[in-house]
Amino acid sequence: MMTRPFFFGCIAVWMAVMCAIPRGQEARSVWDGVYTAEQAKRGEAPYGQHCAACHGGNLLGAEAAPALTGFEFGGNWSGLTLGDLYERIRTSMPSDDPGKVTAQQKVDIVAYMLRVGAFPAGMTELPRDQQILTTIQYLATKP
Amino acid sequence: MLRRLRLVTLPLLSLVIALASMDAGLARQARPKDGEWTTYGGDLSSRRYRPFDQINRENFKDLEVAWRFRTDALGPRPEFNFQSTPLMVNGVLYTTAGTRRAVVALDAATGEMLWMHREDEGTRGAAAPRRLSGRGLAYWTDGRAERIVYVTPGYQMIGLDAKTGRKVPGFGRNGVVDLKLEMDQPIDLETGEVGLHAAPIISGNTIVVGAAHLPGGVPKSRNHEKGYIRGYDARTGKRLWIFHTLPQKGEFGNDTWLQDSWSYTGNVGVWAQMTIDEELGMLYMPVELPTGDYYGGHRPGNGLFGESLVAIDLKTGQRKWHYQLVHHGIWDFDIPCAPILADITVNGRTIKAIAQPTKQNWLYVFDRITGQPVWPIEERPVPRGDVPGEWYAATQPFVTRPAPYDLQGVSIDDLIDFTPELRAEAVALVSRYRIGPLFTPPPVSTWEGPRGLIMVPSSTGGANWPGGSLDPETNILYIYSFRQPSIIGLINDPARSDMNFINGQARDPSAPPPAPPAPGPAPAVAGGGGPALTVQGLPLLKPPYGSITATDLNKGEIVWQVPHGETPDAVRNHPALKGLNIPRTGRAAGRIGTLVTRTLVIAGEPGFFTMPSGQRGAMLRAYDKATGAEVGAVPMPAPQTGSPMTYMLNGRQYLAVPISGAGHSGELLVFRAPQAAATTSSR
Repeated sequence: MMTRPFFFGCIAVWMAVMCAIPRGQEARSVWDGVYTAEQAKRGEAPYGQHCAACHGGNLLGAEAAPALTGFEFGGNWSGLTLGDLYERIRTSMPSDDPGKVTAQQKVDIVAYMLRVGAFPAGMTELPRDQQILTTIQYLATKP
Repeated sequence: MLRRLRLVTLPLLSLVIALASMDAGLARQARPKDGEWTTYGGDLSSRRYRPFDQINRENFKDLEVAWRFRTDALGPRPEFNFQSTPLMVNGVLYTTAGTRRAVVALDAATGEMLWMHREDEGTRGAAAPRRLSGRGLAYWTDGRAERIVYVTPGYQMIGLDAKTGRKVPGFGRNGVVDLKLEMDQPIDLETGEVGLHAAPIISGNTIVVGAAHLPGGVPKSRNHEKGYIRGYDARTGKRLWIFHTLPQKGEFGNDTWLQDSWSYTGNVGVWAQMTIDEELGMLYMPVELPTGDYYGGHRPGNGLFGESLVAIDLKTGQRKWHYQLVHHGIWDFDIPCAPILADITVNGRTIKAIAQPTKQNWLYVFDRITGQPVWPIEERPVPRGDVPGEWYAATQPFVTRPAPYDLQGVSIDDLIDFTPELRAEAVALVSRYRIGPLFTPPPVSTWEGPRGLIMVPSSTGGANWPGGSLDPETNILYIYSFRQPSIIGLINDPARSDMNFINGQARDPSAPPPAPPAPGPAPAVAGGGGPALTVQGLPLLKPPYGSITATDLNKGEIVWQVPHGETPDAVRNHPALKGLNIPRTGRAAGRIGTLVTRTLVIAGEPGFFTMPSGQRGAMLRAYDKATGAEVGAVPMPAPQTGSPMTYMLNGRQYLAVPISGAGHSGELLVFRAPQAAATTSSR
């Protein structure tokens, strides 16, 4: 039988989780204008500085690293979230020292990747908050 | 006198006999005992074959997961491209893993970690041209001592006690051989651009170590480190010999480098796995191309031993024969994988053969004693390009048999044709580029066109580093290849390179300028500019996007060919293809190695898709090795990224598959035959 303190504990945890997700952020995808053109432009420079050596100036990949746009990339990431993508970059990229690119630069790079992938820009910048990024689905084809 | 002679000669004779028998014993060690997998390629012939049949067509779909091993903690961060092939010796499974390329020993029955070894190489490791967990390691024994040998990202060879994981004090300096030393050229110990992600190969008492560099589409300079190959004593770590893959003055082949270009040009390493014939005492080296993947104007001449298969004496490092597969390469057709040994019978004649898979989709088959092609390889004229300063080879070698296992070159007929509209869009897209047959030269990129060469196979193949497998019962060779174009254009950019041309594409002159780079030296960039080659988000080329091909080496004929990998979601769900019946297309999202057993060819899929269960993942598939018919498949949470291997332990067959991918960090997934199969086979 569920004890009363446990029951209220569960309610409290649920409310905390619900409050942590900002309103209006649910069930969005990369097709909903989740970054701005300005932010994508900002992400181009750190991409060129830290990523292009392996992933190519055109994001099309090279021998050392896969493409970050296009058919295969879309196939591999479709169904995951921008939170997953950001987490991948945050923890492991650039591979020689992930710490040398700031969190803001990394989210700007994600915006740049979205622009190159021809996903529409919008009015609001992609935030650095991973919890919000996790609510945005990466869908390779428009739903 | 006679007695004195006897006194001297008898011990000497005994010593010689003892040494000879010891050497023979050592030579045997490379041949796996029943059930084991003791070298990267399964054996030194690189066949990736085991005659087991406990896992078979009847039970493949019922495979059990024996254990799983996550690699996240083996380094400061998780790795998402786990490419190793483990070894299994005496019930212990050894593999490299994790972002620091740690070595782990695992109980092969349960996955329990027995020991772990790591090297923190600091800035040397961070500057390495080939980072991450690499392709694997090597095992050595003299019947008493057992060692694991591997190469770190920072290019140090480490000798470990296989039982404890501790460095062997008598090997190199306290278990470490610094591979940036004794390389017949000055190399900066920290930043010198040479490393290796391949596993070393060991036969008898000789360890052979290759050399790899950064990919060479945009080299900073025409002056570059050279990728020489070396043999080492497995007991002491002492260098035994060095082979100058780029011959020095006075050495054979030096005259193929015009205008003294041998003196400053580099690369020409062996980053792929190598193969050994222990009976012949020969090492076979698949060599990459020299500095400048797509522009060779600074290295006029055919440039031996670039893109050559080279056979050398394993003990001395002396050249026996070589065959250059591409003269003066300008397509990045590095030979990417181990050649495979096969004792074939052609028109009644038995030939000790060697088959070399390539990025360009030809299997080159030679007599491995003499280097003579088994079927004619013809020198045919190829088009000259028009890039200023380039030196073009007038002819290239064309394989006449067997037929290529995938597309070579591209024409309008090869473009997507699911609908007339898609074909028309594809034709419009390629009109801005140069297309043509294999060996069409890359152009200088201009915005008006050509913006570049659409190259098929791409600069990554075709086939790539996993190579193929061979069934010695039938001499059928199996290989996965993928069909994907790459754009190769040439631009001049003195801020990034002292080469006259590097890979890249002209930008739209009316487009806003690119974002200003951050302060500091110009960063290296692989390629540059230009759109992805897709049509409404679909691949430019017709399927199959990925295939497995079976080629009979006795006849030089393709026996079967199947698409490998489920049709991508983006094709299955594409609105322009609604209502069309599209057969399985295969997939091109990765580099896939195959495994051959008594009855099956086994390979995991590259890339994710929505599996029949609705979950995201990839399938491990088994094909009837005689016909190519799929006979079973099991789901995996992520695609195969390292090549599968198999072993027998306590009466059961195991199947280990390294997997990883988007959102799924490196994991070793180990299946085993269902209990019922083990019970049946033990009766």
